[in-house]
Amino acid sequence: MSSETPAAVLKKNLWTDNPIFVQILGICSTLAVTNNLTNTLIMTVAVIFVTGLSNTTVSLLKTLIPRKVRMIVQTLIIAFYVIIVDIALRAYMPEISKALGPYVGLIITNCIIMGRAEAFAQSNPPVLALWDGITSGAGYMGVLVLIAIIRELLGAGSLMGYQIFGEGFTTWTIMVMPPSAFFLLGSIIWAAKTIMFKKEEA
Amino acid sequence: MNKESFLYVVIFTFIVAFVFVFIIALADGATAERVARNRELVTAQAFLNSIGKSEEDGLKALDEFNTIFKDVDAEGVNRAVVNGRDVIVKQFQGNGLWGTITGVLAVDSSLSQIIGLDVISHSETPGLGGRIEEDWFKDQFRGEQIGPDGITVRKGEGGVDDDKANSIVDGITGASLTSDAMEVIINNEIEYLRQEVAK
Repeated sequence: MSSETPAAVLKKNLWTDNPIFVQILGICSTLAVTNNLTNTLIMTVAVIFVTGLSNTTVSLLKTLIPRKVRMIVQTLIIAFYVIIVDIALRAYMPEISKALGPYVGLIITNCIIMGRAEAFAQSNPPVLALWDGITSGAGYMGVLVLIAIIRELLGAGSLMGYQIFGEGFTTWTIMVMPPSAFFLLGSIIWAAKTIMFKKEEA
Repeated sequence: MNKESFLYVVIFTFIVAFVFVFIIALADGATAERVARNRELVTAQAFLNSIGKSEEDGLKALDEFNTIFKDVDAEGVNRAVVNGRDVIVKQFQGNGLWGTITGVLAVDSSLSQIIGLDVISHSETPGLGGRIEEDWFKDQFRGEQIGPDGITVRKGEGGVDDDKANSIVDGITGASLTSDAMEVIINNEIEYLRQEVAK
């Protein structure tokens, strides 16, 4: 059993072992939902909710889950929370639900959640697993929000729907298309790695 | 009991699946009414938008919708009187670039002018084809004359066509296929309504 401190978990998930720019997980949604800041925020909050609670649940049940079906049980637990999120959005935030469309359902396939359940929750106590889930989701959120801010600002001249640049601003069509997220993500990985290597050398 | 035994695995998996699915069924049942009402509301607001009477407030929108359109046939042709004018309102569906586009089209009873248009749902590219739901695009249709061949969605210069008499609206830059799809969908509806009215 590994015993990790909350501070170490936080640092790992936000920086040294960030799910997006170090582990390169969850890239599908990084490309898909980041052309608009509002959608990105709702999506990442949903992911934090699902990672946190699925981690906690897996951790609580870990002594009861038979080894050979543990993956199936983990998937079931993740799917459960995702469907709850989907139902809540459809009932209470229909606008957002419409805008996110199929992406909410696709949270189930987000590798970060499955990865945390398998790598962390299976061998750690529930409260620490909850913390790990939340911070992993926050690591994901930070990168996505950064990409979304750049994409919406240049692609539509606005942030969360509010016009930032004036009428004369020529929008960058490439920024609303998925390839721009590839370029931005590549740049972020490059920048983050450069800073990490500099720190190591120092 | 041995945790890895066949019986334990089956029973454990069954119980876990049952509990989670049961909670989902409860949550779904508890919100079903709300979800259905949301859907009704979206349709009602689209109908109102198409005839130029937008109403943000949910309850008022439903009220107004029910007074203007007494018996709504979601699939068929609805007639209503708006500001003393006979209009025909019809919900439409058609193929966009990526998926189905649904919306509401309102025309005057002689089929010579479009009263308005609203989009209920679509799955076009956000920021490109998805801009069909933006007001600048929909407002181009308001009051546009219908020509013998219907409406033309033109590849414009990224602007807006202000001439209401020429049966031309400007398409969306970077989304020619969605713009073309909208042209086909609207003209099909106009053709259909022409045949229905001639009956």
